[in-house]
Amino acid sequence: MDVVRDVLDKSVIDRNGREMGRVDGILVELRPNQPVHLTAVLIGPAALGDRLHPAVGRLVRLIERSFGVDQDRPARIAFAGIDAIDTKIRLRMTITETAVAAVEQRLRSWVLRLPGSR
Amino acid sequence: MRKLFNLALGIVTSIGGFVEVGSISTSVQAGAEFRFSLLWAVAAATMFLAALAEMAGRVAAVSKRSMAAAVRERFGFHFQIVPLGAEFIIDTLLLTAELGGAAIAVKMLTGIGFQWGVLPLGLVAWLVLWFGNFTVIEDGVGLLGIVTLSFVVAAWQLHPDVAPIVRGFVPSIPHHDLTRYAFLAVSIVGATVSPYLLNFYASGAIEEKWTAEDLWINRLTAWCGMGFGSAVAMGCLVTAAIVFGPQHLKVDTYEQAAQMFVPVYGRWAVALFALSLGIGCFGAAVEIALNAGYVLGQAFGWTWGIDKKRRDVSRFVAAFSVVLLLGVGIATIGFDPLRVTLISVALTVVIMPLVVLPFLVLMNEEEYVGTHTSGPLGNGLLATLTVLGALMAIVVIPLEIFGG
Repeated sequence: MDVVRDVLDKSVIDRNGREMGRVDGILVELRPNQPVHLTAVLIGPAALGDRLHPAVGRLVRLIERSFGVDQDRPARIAFAGIDAIDTKIRLRMTITETAVAAVEQRLRSWVLRLPGSR
Repeated sequence: MRKLFNLALGIVTSIGGFVEVGSISTSVQAGAEFRFSLLWAVAAATMFLAALAEMAGRVAAVSKRSMAAAVRERFGFHFQIVPLGAEFIIDTLLLTAELGGAAIAVKMLTGIGFQWGVLPLGLVAWLVLWFGNFTVIEDGVGLLGIVTLSFVVAAWQLHPDVAPIVRGFVPSIPHHDLTRYAFLAVSIVGATVSPYLLNFYASGAIEEKWTAEDLWINRLTAWCGMGFGSAVAMGCLVTAAIVFGPQHLKVDTYEQAAQMFVPVYGRWAVALFALSLGIGCFGAAVEIALNAGYVLGQAFGWTWGIDKKRRDVSRFVAAFSVVLLLGVGIATIGFDPLRVTLISVALTVVIMPLVVLPFLVLMNEEEYVGTHTSGPLGNGLLATLTVLGALMAIVVIPLEIFGG
């Protein structure tokens, strides 16, 4: 498997088919004299920011902290939690078991106050 | 039968949705300053747009991915950030210009000051997005936009000579102001081939659940819809050429442009021009804001869709609301819509190679278009467009400075 081609930037969906975002980063473990060990995929704009420049990642974290949605973000999904990889990355878990939904939930609480949102 | 109805509706709405602030301003200026001799630029830009829209629709129908999603997956975020960032800026500027154009139309009709018009227009646009669905937005905008056919009727009623119009479809060197001529030619392309139109078209294909079986609808809608739509822009250019051309007028305001309807529509001229401008611009503003939600949702993998319950797509809702707010904010400060249009058109041309290049790759990969890959003709066209796009991107800023 070519991780960059087959995993990075692919759409991620949970067990129920809900869109969770995209694979914004990949976490690998380097051990001496051993092949690179793929640990987890990262979902969240902070991981995306880190890819552009560490300063962008820090800025995104700062913004997330100011909105109180920085806990456990970017979400870290262990490779073992991936059920299948095809055109999308399908997970064994639901979105609510991760920190991915924090921003969506915060925005939803505002959207729900408006008439016609349901 | 239903598919035929949808096809007809798609073509009609493409005509109605074609004209907006960019195409009106560039066509009027081209006609007024160079008579019919820039008609070829409108025709070429339309072919450019129709070919790309058809391809974006093909990717969407076959792979269920819009261009924003396909580019992120195929080329990665490092590549995408440049066209994505540029598109976000262009969409915001264009939205500002469209709201400005619509507010000027309201001012022409009611006398209400320009800045006072922007706020309620922004609010109405948001309400349309909040309560509307894709059919209401696309068909409503398109059907109301049929009023823009008044440009074609005006051109027809002025009984132009056919020979100079036909000659206008062949590129020629002008007798005066070559820089200005080149600037307007490039601007016409930039105003016509807006990235928002391509992604909006592809997102619509996904919203309407097109499949590979609908590719013939896609082809006809893209080519006929855009083709007939460009007739409106050509009608605008021809009318301006006949009315303003003999005096070589430089049209700097929409109020001035409205005068081109006087010989045909008399005392209804300003009202009809204002309606055409207002509906064209307002419809485009709604579509641009919606497209901002689409692009961000698709690039970042959020749940998106104007037909979904708003509580299920809160990030998508936030995206189109914030962009609309930004557009209203900038327009309220009071930037000249014509100037903002020219800047966004120039930026569109600058990023054109980055918009076109991914098509060349995606249209040849089975993962994105199945067995419907591009043949030698399609690839040749895309390669030509990429080279032309790169050339235009190099010359557009100098042209904007010296000819704009």
